[in-house]
Amino acid sequence: MVMKHRLLLGLLMVPLASACSLQPVQPWQRGHLARPEMAWEPDPLLAAYRRHVQFSKEAATGGPVLGGGGCGCN
Amino acid sequence: MRARSATLLALSQAALALPGLATADGETLQTDYLYSRYEEASLPAARSASGSASPRFRIDTHLLRASLAVDDSNFGLDLNYETLSGASPWFILPDAEGRPVQVMSGASIQEQRTALQASWNRSLQTLLDGLDASATLGYSSEDDYRSLSGGAELGFSPEGRQLTYTAGFSYSSDTLQPTRGASSPTVIASAQKRSHSLYGGLAWVLGPETVVQASLSYLGNSGYLSDPYKLAYLTDTASTTADERPDGRVAWALTGRLRQFLPRANAALHLDYRWYRDDWKIESHTVDLAWYQTLPGDWQLVPSLRWYSQSQAYFYAPYYRRERADGFASSDYRLSPFGALSGRLAVSKRFGGWLLGAGVEHYQAKAGYALGEVELENPGLVQFTSLDLRVSWQF
Repeated sequence: MVMKHRLLLGLLMVPLASACSLQPVQPWQRGHLARPEMAWEPDPLLAAYRRHVQFSKEAATGGPVLGGGGCGCN
Repeated sequence: MRARSATLLALSQAALALPGLATADGETLQTDYLYSRYEEASLPAARSASGSASPRFRIDTHLLRASLAVDDSNFGLDLNYETLSGASPWFILPDAEGRPVQVMSGASIQEQRTALQASWNRSLQTLLDGLDASATLGYSSEDDYRSLSGGAELGFSPEGRQLTYTAGFSYSSDTLQPTRGASSPTVIASAQKRSHSLYGGLAWVLGPETVVQASLSYLGNSGYLSDPYKLAYLTDTASTTADERPDGRVAWALTGRLRQFLPRANAALHLDYRWYRDDWKIESHTVDLAWYQTLPGDWQLVPSLRWYSQSQAYFYAPYYRRERADGFASSDYRLSPFGALSGRLAVSKRFGGWLLGAGVEHYQAKAGYALGEVELENPGLVQFTSLDLRVSWQF
């Protein structure tokens, strides 16, 4: 279990570690970042639907997402 | 890349997904429709108290979104209509060997849910360069449940910096009026529940192909948090008691997201992780991995994999010997220790201003997928398949 925790932490640290050598990205270098598939949620309609299903079947919820009320889901 | 609210993303990226839609000026109306058929696998005979397999839920969902971009503002309207039928887990008995077996709700449940959500986003660059604001207001209605919700968010991207700051809050006020079993002494007539959340996030552009985001969320729930349709079994008296949970719940979630574009493959890699902990002593980990592959001819293929794990609520048990000293009791599988794996495959194609897509997802919850050891697996853990079809178009 401890090993699994360390693996998860390690995966998360890779992008953070690379932040140490940040070079400013100029506006004209951001073409790839602006592509639709690079969005946090490229398909918001589907993402909202999947969140609703997960919310009704699992105990954990939460994240940087605006909106959404409760439901009487069983 | 600026990290914006989900609402803004809903409006701007859905629009960008269609060729020629991101106009420099004027108004643009974008509409999206999603149909989903969600079907849970039957409860196997070996896990059923009746000794025979029992069908579970089937849900048909229709989601319609319209968004209008005018100058610096976006307005959105979401309509959600779903119909639900089937049976749900009721309580759990021990069999002759003490193995937990599930009792399902007797009569077939038939329900509808209708939800409407309005959203608004606007650039506030006249106040401060790089500032934008979003707000939502929603209402959801079921036969036995009403929910009124709202929220607001601010995003700030300082000029010439690699960072974007986001902060927001949401609030929901819900009313339960159970219809099934209303004459039973264990079912309440009416109850209230309130939920609120606060979150703050920071996104970094690490390079021309890499962006990451970290965020912290606080969630608070108060009021009636039990399930009026579930019971718990007491072996000493061979009787059932009402599902009874604390009337408050506080949770924290830490989320990390990575988006990496791979020019050679013409694909984007998505990696999301969430750690969750609440004062019901539930701790959870979620990892989501997706690959967005752009193919010739305006096709896109998206395989994805999700792993989820949670520990149990401190008052949960599949069944009890006698009532707990604090009076709490719940055998709900959603409060049990389990893990879940789901795989999804989606395909879409653009036809001029139209986009057609389809996807299939299979989800399986099992004690064996959990991070820690699980002594007794809840027999009501769910397994489902979801099929979805979607159409997007512009006017």
